[in-house]
Amino acid sequence: MEEVVINQSEATESAVVTEGVMPPKKQRKPINQQKLQDNLWGWAFCLPLIVGTVWFVYSAFVMALLLSFTNYTLNRGSMTEFLAHFSEHIHPQGAWYWYIDAFTHEIPAVGQAGGNEIGLYLFNTVFYMIGIPIGMVLSMFFAVCMSRDIRGGNLFRVLYYLPVVASTVSVIYTFQILFQDGGVINQLLNIDFRWLAGNDSWNTLLGNDKPGNFMNDPYWCQGFFQKIVVVVMCVWKGLGGTIILYVAGLSGVNESTKEAAQIDGANGWQIFWKVTMPDLYPVIFYNIVTAVIGGMQIYMEPELLFAARAYYTSGYVSLIWGYGIADGQQAHGAALGMILAVIIFILTMFQFYLDSRRKD
Amino acid sequence: MAENQNINVAAPDTEEKQYSSLRYAWGAFVSFFGFTTKTHRGSKKRARLVADIVTYAVLLFGAFIMIYPFWWMLAGSFAYTDNNGNTQLYTMVWWPLRTTFDNGNRGPFLNYIMVFERGFTGIRQTFWRVLLNNILYSTVPVVVGVITSASAAFSFAKINWIGRNAVFYFLLAAIMVPGPSLMISQYVMYVNLGWTNNGLALIIPGLFGSIMTAFFIRQFLFGLPTSIIEAAKIDGAGYFRIFCGFILPLAMPAIMAQGILSFMGCWNNYMGSFLFVRNTQWYNLPHAVSTMESQSTFASNFAPVIAASVICVLPVMILFGCFQKLIIGSLMLTGSKE
Repeated sequence: MEEVVINQSEATESAVVTEGVMPPKKQRKPINQQKLQDNLWGWAFCLPLIVGTVWFVYSAFVMALLLSFTNYTLNRGSMTEFLAHFSEHIHPQGAWYWYIDAFTHEIPAVGQAGGNEIGLYLFNTVFYMIGIPIGMVLSMFFAVCMSRDIRGGNLFRVLYYLPVVASTVSVIYTFQILFQDGGVINQLLNIDFRWLAGNDSWNTLLGNDKPGNFMNDPYWCQGFFQKIVVVVMCVWKGLGGTIILYVAGLSGVNESTKEAAQIDGANGWQIFWKVTMPDLYPVIFYNIVTAVIGGMQIYMEPELLFAARAYYTSGYVSLIWGYGIADGQQAHGAALGMILAVIIFILTMFQFYLDSRRKD
Repeated sequence: MAENQNINVAAPDTEEKQYSSLRYAWGAFVSFFGFTTKTHRGSKKRARLVADIVTYAVLLFGAFIMIYPFWWMLAGSFAYTDNNGNTQLYTMVWWPLRTTFDNGNRGPFLNYIMVFERGFTGIRQTFWRVLLNNILYSTVPVVVGVITSASAAFSFAKINWIGRNAVFYFLLAAIMVPGPSLMISQYVMYVNLGWTNNGLALIIPGLFGSIMTAFFIRQFLFGLPTSIIEAAKIDGAGYFRIFCGFILPLAMPAIMAQGILSFMGCWNNYMGSFLFVRNTQWYNLPHAVSTMESQSTFASNFAPVIAASVICVLPVMILFGCFQKLIIGSLMLTGSKE
């Protein structure tokens, strides 16, 4: 094929030389050959990625959407059978059954009336997000320190990035023992506090054995300190990645603008807020958007540190796994997954809306 | 920096005005650190030195917090546990009071040997089997996946074809779909294909490459001059030759960085194994380590679990240490491109 192209282009070149003016018909043909080559190879090089994306993302998404309207489980036949007889699989109590169920299903909690199931799990997920502003401020602080003109700045970047590459399972085991009753954290703070003990944490703190009404609040009080441990761990583990992005952003800040501000008499603090921060805004925005998307998907950390699928610590994804895989109600899990996709989409759109309002 | 601006303003004042002695003392104290007040003039050099020292102190403190859990992990993996389950592991701060170095009969690496010998008896697998699984999961899909991603990136960056932008945005839109919403349908798919019994669920999806990797390499390829490709075309090279002979070697830094990053991701991929592997024979290392806790052997003796954690972390740390410049550089590039 390639040789053909070359021969033809050579042919046209010789034609140019001999005739001086090229006839339009001859000119068009070799260009079409080149375009054909471009199109063929362009698609060919892309094909694996397109196939992978269509197969494992788009068709999986459509599949999940279809699943969520049914009462399909793996015992009820194969996927092809499911797709062929989709109408028979639609949930007998209505296609929206799992969605309605998700918003109405109440679960009992220890010592209290309990609450809406996805409400409890979503609350935990959102609670873990208090790590995002903390991490943003801390990483900005460290990034500003690192981008000063000091020796060994690169070494610090590497050291701060180590927790990001470490295996979460290993880190979880370590933090589990660091926060033990007689562990390092308690020795450091010189207290004997049971961080990981659920409601017992409140008892050791407040000094009574029977948990009162306050401590039994399933949203704010049950597992409060356990959630704090998870937040600490996530901030520790995620700091390095944000720092790198901020350092990159800070190195791109316009030096001459800074100098101009300095000559105009601005102090360091003013320069930071009025010159550096606006320049850094795209990086901050990107970091917040990705952090919120990632934060909504928190799953492993609370599950491995504490019980699996515990309403007082686990994130929302734990429910998807719990219903969809552990309980074997695939349709239920798929519906919960769709709800998560919608929540993340709305949150992201909301952030972009705020971003667009700022620009006006 | 800003202090020296004030010098001009402050200097005439000192001659005219009288300040209280307390004010003078404060000025003297502050000027030691380089700050200029109305009574004393600081030096810019001193201010810079002080700021450097403070920066170092802050960064060292932060680095200590980042490093300490890893040190603790390493030290804890040498903690000795006697037959009654007495161990220093839970209260250890710097180094266990009684280490495996002190007990002579089975050597200093007792906890590691326990992981090798009995670590995964709970899932009826040997340590080596699990390690081999992990190496398989984190090499085959990564190598093939990075090459397919690079080829897609090449076609997006350097070849003009109809529908290129449409396909690009079509692919880019796929990263908006959150993974957990696809979890169940992917599980159903893999069960139907029979991939959950043999670890193929962790290998085959990776072979098709990842959109983010392709996106990053595409950004890198935009920086390469198109004239190289034009020259190669004139010399009679086809696109496949151009890709193998020019693009792969020239984009090697980007490809390596993305490859190592995805290797580390696959090595630590607990969730994939936890969700999609039903057969204990095909568990990967983090997943197998997470099952150790429930074994009765390790309920009273947690030190081997910490040793297994070290084994989990160590290869990634060494790899990251070797390629830190490449990886950090590529991450910084991502940051500045945003």
